[in-house]
Amino acid sequence: MTKTRNKLGVWKDIVNVAKRETNIMFSRPLYLIATVVVMLLCCFFFATLLQKGVPERMPVGVVDLDFTTTSRNVVHQLNSMQMVEVKGHYHSYAEARDALQRGEIYGFLVIPRHFYNQLGGLKRPKLSVYTNNTYTVAANMAYKQLLMMCNLVSGALQLQVFTAAGLTEPQAMALIQPIVVETHQIANPKANYAIYLIGTILPGILGLIILSTTIFSIGIEMKNQTSREWLETANGSMSVALTGKIFPYSVLYIILGICCNTLMYKVLDFPVAGSFFAMSMSLLIYVCTMQAIAVLIIGLLPSVRTALSIGALYGMLAFSMSGFTYPAMAMLPAFRSLTWLFPLTHYYHVYVNEALLDGPVQNTILPIIYMLLALILPLFIIKRLHYAAVNLNYPTN
Amino acid sequence: MALFPEIWQNVSKTVRFVWKVIADTIYAVFHDSGVITIFFVAGLIYPVLYGFLCWENTVKEVPIIAVDLSGSKESMEFLRKVDASPDVKIEYRCTSMIEAEQLMKAQKAHGIIYFPRDYADRIKGLRGQAHVSLYCDMTTFLYMKNLLLPANMVMLEEMHQIQLKRMNALGLGDELAYEFTQGAPYEETKLYNPIDGYASFLIPPVLVLIILQTLFLGICMLRGTFYEEKRTIYQANAHHFSHAILVTIGMALAFFIIYSGLSAIDLILFPRIFKNLPHIGDPMNILLFIVPLLLSTIFFSLFVSGFMHNRETGMVILLPTSLLFLFIAGVSWPQPCIPKAWRILSYFFPSTWGLHGYLHLNSMGASMLQIKKEFDALWILTGFYFVLTVVQQYLTFRKARKH
Repeated sequence: MTKTRNKLGVWKDIVNVAKRETNIMFSRPLYLIATVVVMLLCCFFFATLLQKGVPERMPVGVVDLDFTTTSRNVVHQLNSMQMVEVKGHYHSYAEARDALQRGEIYGFLVIPRHFYNQLGGLKRPKLSVYTNNTYTVAANMAYKQLLMMCNLVSGALQLQVFTAAGLTEPQAMALIQPIVVETHQIANPKANYAIYLIGTILPGILGLIILSTTIFSIGIEMKNQTSREWLETANGSMSVALTGKIFPYSVLYIILGICCNTLMYKVLDFPVAGSFFAMSMSLLIYVCTMQAIAVLIIGLLPSVRTALSIGALYGMLAFSMSGFTYPAMAMLPAFRSLTWLFPLTHYYHVYVNEALLDGPVQNTILPIIYMLLALILPLFIIKRLHYAAVNLNYPTN
Repeated sequence: MALFPEIWQNVSKTVRFVWKVIADTIYAVFHDSGVITIFFVAGLIYPVLYGFLCWENTVKEVPIIAVDLSGSKESMEFLRKVDASPDVKIEYRCTSMIEAEQLMKAQKAHGIIYFPRDYADRIKGLRGQAHVSLYCDMTTFLYMKNLLLPANMVMLEEMHQIQLKRMNALGLGDELAYEFTQGAPYEETKLYNPIDGYASFLIPPVLVLIILQTLFLGICMLRGTFYEEKRTIYQANAHHFSHAILVTIGMALAFFIIYSGLSAIDLILFPRIFKNLPHIGDPMNILLFIVPLLLSTIFFSLFVSGFMHNRETGMVILLPTSLLFLFIAGVSWPQPCIPKAWRILSYFFPSTWGLHGYLHLNSMGASMLQIKKEFDALWILTGFYFVLTVVQQYLTFRKARKH
């Protein structure tokens, strides 16, 4: 009999702490601004920023030293391409490079003097393409278009020469391009930057929010010296106090996560090759893991000021360590193993496997297990946190 | 001096007051573990961490799969040459696309190169076009480049040989045939980042962002603490507008002193230590650029932090801005593609101008004249946020006095 009552008592305590926490959550606008408002703003920002997904009308320049109908035709054709826009016409290489260095254009095409004459006389006039690869994404986009233009010019000329010599078009093409390379893009067929970026960056931001608000919500009890009251509500048990405190936030974060997923996969129509359910589950576990890590950080450093700073440093690192921008394969081996310390890495692996590739189940399950393992972390600091909460002996600065 | 004793007295009083504000602010920074963590640990450790993280600059030996249904001398030659490139490595050879697809889905490999059954026949047949198909894993953009580049190079090489053969068969001599194959050749030059290194692209903007964001978050944390602990020493002469000006200048100078050293280390010294980072700019120019970059960021931060009434508020709410500032600036996602409303908003952030200005100076070797737009914009923002901060400071003081 007593045992069941005790069990019920624990549940009651958790509910009491959760109720207390919910009251705190609504007592100051800070909590809702830091979670709901910030998350929604970020969703809105990235969704509208990368609306188009693929760059369009990238500014490029042309140095037309030939200035004949043919060269002007080349410029005209270049301008009619969807991806680029001829923003500048320059008289010399130096002028174009100056514009490049000022950041006005991402690349330029140089059409040499006597281009038309040499072209007619089969003297192989050379076109030159320059791109500013400081801005890799933009430069590669411009580069592709400029190169395509060069190939068009070259191909058109060759076709003209060969058909004039009496060959049929397929015959001529067999001469001009005996091997054709066809490129297929798997997992993101349109090379959509939004799919590549938003799918991981929004969960990453959610992770940042979880870190800072969880650390804050626990640390503020110490700072305001309310930790004893918090512990009393939980009947003196730190694990109950923590569970009750964290639970309302878990619900809030999971709702935010579901909003994110709905935005990405339902509104923005990102592809889900595998299971949407698995994506949702991994997000749910990711939320809990991030909370566990936040508890660990505040447990190790029960001063809200230091813990918040450390949490921020850790949270920001996740974006580059998770390998979604820079593949883990290219990192130094020592760093490759460090990536495992960031739940975002594991979430990203699930995302790649489920949303993009629809790969084998173990590639989803393993990262989820790694995330679940992190859930035991708070156990190590419960005693420490209990001690800090009772003695209120945390450093103040 | 004896002629104007009053003025001299005022000047010396002013200088002493500003000096006091500077000293107090610096003292506060160095007695706050949270701010020290943000300023110095993040400001110095982050760059090193990122430098090591992207040490390799590019991805090498990406594992790929070869599906060679042709099994001919020609296709094997092609594969051998592709395999020889440092960009990819043929890790698996499959006999069917289904098998290859499974391997790719399991992320054992990140690309497939496929030769159809009739590949060699078409090449030998002197007529038709032979096809090669590439399947690129797009989960990371870097993989695709690694496969496309060597495949296209080999393709061009093979193609020229075939072309010569075919022309010869048509009765054209070698010399003439060569000219025909090269209708209008082109040359390509990738300026400033010739190997398309990821570190050379990402790290320089990250360095600027580290400086600006640690400053921003640190100031918010510190001012929040000031407000919370009701440090009233600056409120003595709150009825004077000049008082607010002096306090603002004093605080800004304190942060400027601390950060001029940090920025010089991160933005000038650091790229020169990690040799794979671009550093073709003139250090003097960068130093000159750092002045308005820091001042505008300091006044921007002082203004925003004026709304922080608690120590933690800034950190909890403003942490994700680091990502917003990076993306709204239009460095990774090109600036012309950013929707107009966001672009206009981005002009109000010092980071937008700072990122581009620094990239132009450091990575592209631009002159001061070429970054005049960014340089001027930063000074305008400095003035703009200075005025806003002073007004806000004055109102805060007056409010505090009324209570």
